[in-house]
Amino acid sequence: MPKKVCMLLVIFILCCMLPGCYDRQEVDDFAYVIAIGLDKGKINILRLTLQLAKPTVIGSGGGGEGGGGGGGSDGSEATTTIVVETPSIFSGLNMANNSLSKKLNLAHAKVMVFSKELAQEGIERYINAIPRTREIRPNISIAVSTSSAEDYIKAVQPHLEINPAKYYEMNYQTFKYTGLSINNDFHNFYSQMKSTYQSATAVLAGVNKFNSAEDFSLQSSTYDEKGRPYPLEGDFKAGDMPRESKLKAEIMGLAVFNGSRMVGELDGHETTMHLMVTGEYGHGFITIPDPIRKDYTVVLEVKRSRNPVCSVDISGERPRISVKVILEADIQTIQSGIEYEKPENMKILEKAYEDFLRESIIKYLKRTTEEFKSDICGFGKIAKAKFLTWDEWERYDWLNRYKDAEFNVEVDFKIRRTGLIVSTVPVTLSKEKEAP
Amino acid sequence: MASKIVFGKWESISLLAVLMSTQIFLGFPRLMVEAAGTGAWLLVIYAAVLAMLLFAVISKLYSPFEGKDIIDIGGLAGGNAGRIITGSIFLLYLIFIVSVSLREYAENMRIIYLNVTPISFVEMFFLAGMIAGAFMGIESIVRLGAILAPVIAVGFFMITFGIYPYYDFSKIFPVLGSGVNNIFLRGFSKISVFSAISILFLIAPFLKTNKNFKVTGYASIGISAVMLTWSSLINILAFDYPAALERLMPVFQMARLVNLGRFFQRVESLFMIAWAVSGFLYLSAVFFFIAYVFRKTFKLEYYRPVIFPFATLVFTISLMPPNVITATRLEIDYFRNYVWIISFVLPIVVLLIARARIKASKTGGAENA
Repeated sequence: MPKKVCMLLVIFILCCMLPGCYDRQEVDDFAYVIAIGLDKGKINILRLTLQLAKPTVIGSGGGGEGGGGGGGSDGSEATTTIVVETPSIFSGLNMANNSLSKKLNLAHAKVMVFSKELAQEGIERYINAIPRTREIRPNISIAVSTSSAEDYIKAVQPHLEINPAKYYEMNYQTFKYTGLSINNDFHNFYSQMKSTYQSATAVLAGVNKFNSAEDFSLQSSTYDEKGRPYPLEGDFKAGDMPRESKLKAEIMGLAVFNGSRMVGELDGHETTMHLMVTGEYGHGFITIPDPIRKDYTVVLEVKRSRNPVCSVDISGERPRISVKVILEADIQTIQSGIEYEKPENMKILEKAYEDFLRESIIKYLKRTTEEFKSDICGFGKIAKAKFLTWDEWERYDWLNRYKDAEFNVEVDFKIRRTGLIVSTVPVTLSKEKEAP
Repeated sequence: MASKIVFGKWESISLLAVLMSTQIFLGFPRLMVEAAGTGAWLLVIYAAVLAMLLFAVISKLYSPFEGKDIIDIGGLAGGNAGRIITGSIFLLYLIFIVSVSLREYAENMRIIYLNVTPISFVEMFFLAGMIAGAFMGIESIVRLGAILAPVIAVGFFMITFGIYPYYDFSKIFPVLGSGVNNIFLRGFSKISVFSAISILFLIAPFLKTNKNFKVTGYASIGISAVMLTWSSLINILAFDYPAALERLMPVFQMARLVNLGRFFQRVESLFMIAWAVSGFLYLSAVFFFIAYVFRKTFKLEYYRPVIFPFATLVFTISLMPPNVITATRLEIDYFRNYVWIISFVLPIVVLLIARARIKASKTGGAENA
């Protein structure tokens, strides 16, 4: 009997494997797409940009084909792009395939970028094709480019990475230690797009507009509308950061959607507030004006201490949302030299941060209700738990009521550590002695 | 054959648990969401409780018929006519489900892996496994099931635990989903998800004792209830309602979501192993029982000569639905809604008639004496 069982097992395994012989394909037969860009077309509905990896360059260490590890050490030559105008994504693939020796394969695509113009018109008609195909993975990141998607993808010429796919993977995870961006994958984006309790968000990407440090300007910074004398690190959107580098592509902020239509964008600072409220904030440096000497700044490395505590009261006509954000921080920089390590001074600093963050969160939340009318924080999840059946929940019509929501925000902020300095000693100045 | 072959509780429990749970890898989690919305997992628990209660009734009625299968009991209830009617109903049911399942497995295989391969070519390989299993006999299938059931379970749980970053427990609210009526009244028909219990009524002679029969029934319903409930719950936690209604093969899509760091991703191959193994076991076991039921119903000496004719029949029927949606709807709209009548009601009716006949004959015998 064991012989029979083994034989049956072998037959089962063979039956699993042999059908694959019919449509066998070699890994080398494919051209791997790592980024997909979608813009409005000039002569057709869509302009499709595909960034393809050059495995031979990546494999040889980035310096050119067959270099055996020699040559350059960046990924700027490791990709090539194809642009086609097409009625849809997959018809574009068909057109692009016609000019290539290898078949395009989307299994390694890391990011799908929509131009802002296209996103504002609504992307449902394009994105609906994605969950049907097994090639595009649900973990692909979704981004909206402030410039054209084509320009953004062409600007991704990483110099620290040989593998451009790794660049996307790592660049879209920087929000974990900066808090200035997000990463929303297709799986979440698609669910949020169809959700009755949460609106979708996407990474805001762009091409930096400055060619040299001399060109830097604050025209596009959001610091002015916030009433600040100078911009803080998050008062920019993608493409506007005063930054000069060979790598022109950047991400900063997030795109806000209502259904499948983009209705607004947040800068880096507001994105930090978004991450804090949703509990996705990891850690990052946050700068505020020194509470005692306003012309100086204080920088703390702020971390999420615990998940935010949110509640929604739906008993009244308008939903009342309470948010308590719980953070802790380490002192990083005290420009003024004031001894904030002292317990009484530390309380002043904590209070200053609490007020700064509370005010920022309230401003951010009000933008989501008044300007965007989109529950991008997903407070609807909490409201939903108060209903017993789906019909009751749908009748409540959360997404329409969200615009009338009132907020009560509390920030619990504690400084835990002071870095490698426990006490700031004032700088000693030499006194000029009067001549005898 | 039945008198010579005996298998233990573990083997029979494994076989039945695989037969009941294999639908997880097809459209089961989506089907539950369609029926009960966010209350899908509640519906499965409710169906499992009902299945347990009905099985308790059936096992109570079964007690005088130790070592007999439902076709033998059909014979006791209605003579040759009773045996043929009972056997034919089971035969039609098994042919229907194996044909639809064969098409579904082949179509899904084609969608996810073999895009270019013709559907008949894919089906032929499944058919080869089914034929091989049927030729080797029930003992080989059952013992292989006992070996592979843990592999399938491990694969399934690894996939569902691997997507823990996507779990969001707020997604199960509103807890009653599409409402009390849909879960507790219309949801009654969903006991059909445990319809594979009818195979237990066919393997009773191999289990010998009533105790084994009862333990196998309760344990297999219990194990599959855990697997089915877990799959429905994770489907809601990961995919959200109403987007979860769109997903074909939710467990495969879960496997695609696994992305633990930059090193542990693309685990669909795990799914492939669990899915293909459970598919082959399911199809070959059910296919074996087509031949077995036919032999018993029509009192044939051997079952092997009918394997190839039935393979041809199943293959032909499986290719009749014009597309995958029709094949899936056949399973969802007809099989999963009405098959409880064959799995639970028919055995109860047959057992009641047989008991009444036995009682009547005993009373008659006593009066004559």
